[in-house]
Amino acid sequence: MKFLRWSAVALLLVTGIIDLYYGNSFAGFYENLWYVMGGIYVFAALVIAANIEPRFSQLTVFAYTVFLWSVWATVALETGTGLDAVAYADKAIEAFLAVNMVLLFRSSRRV
Amino acid sequence: MKSGFRSLSTGRLLIVAAVIAIISGASVGLGVGYVIHYDAPTTRTFYMFDRSLPFNESVFGYPHDTFVPDTITVNKGDHVLIHFADIESTPEGHTFTMDAPYTLSAVVYKNVTQGGGVAGTFTDVPGVILGQSQTATITFTANWAGTFRFYCAIHQPTMTGYLVVIG
Repeated sequence: MKFLRWSAVALLLVTGIIDLYYGNSFAGFYENLWYVMGGIYVFAALVIAANIEPRFSQLTVFAYTVFLWSVWATVALETGTGLDAVAYADKAIEAFLAVNMVLLFRSSRRV
Repeated sequence: MKSGFRSLSTGRLLIVAAVIAIISGASVGLGVGYVIHYDAPTTRTFYMFDRSLPFNESVFGYPHDTFVPDTITVNKGDHVLIHFADIESTPEGHTFTMDAPYTLSAVVYKNVTQGGGVAGTFTDVPGVILGQSQTATITFTANWAGTFRFYCAIHQPTMTGYLVVIG
């Protein structure tokens, strides 16, 4: 469980940093949204690391990850934007993060 | 007795959370997609020339040269392509120079008497200079919103224009 928690923290931090980088250097539009998304990921990493209300926070982080994935997929399908190497890397890590959060949440609920 | 959050099994909680996240994410995505659909970055092309206004420079004490057009408006993220031509009837050069943070890339072409062809290629420079009858294709991406000056460094203060980037 410790491994799952710290891998989640690492994935959250990496995703958060990619989002902040994307907003700062890459996004032509709505870069402020990327800052917010990245900031939330970094904040979530701190919450998961501190193990605050794990059953609630882990489920919330999982839902947030799936939510952002869904937003990205819908916007990409609708407009063809957000289909670049940085976004693909970001979403691939987010997919790992979602699976990580499922495993972490399941192990937390068993305790 | 367990209630609410605790009464659901782990699997059901995850499924409920995923379904809510997917539905709300798709809804937000549809909204964002609709908004940015009409503002998606595109290439904006402009044709720009120098113009000499009909007054005596020595009487007024400043140049009679201006840009036409002297304002270009684009959306943030747009790729801007400017075809700039020095259409002076006498041998007189002009620069197209941009204020920071903008830089530009350009291909400057020789004029017909020089035999045509490429005179020089520039990347990430603040400006380029053209001689009489020379043309240049100038490109940059409008990464910063706001109003930014472009100017001819030789003919100040009159030969000044503004790039308006709507963010």
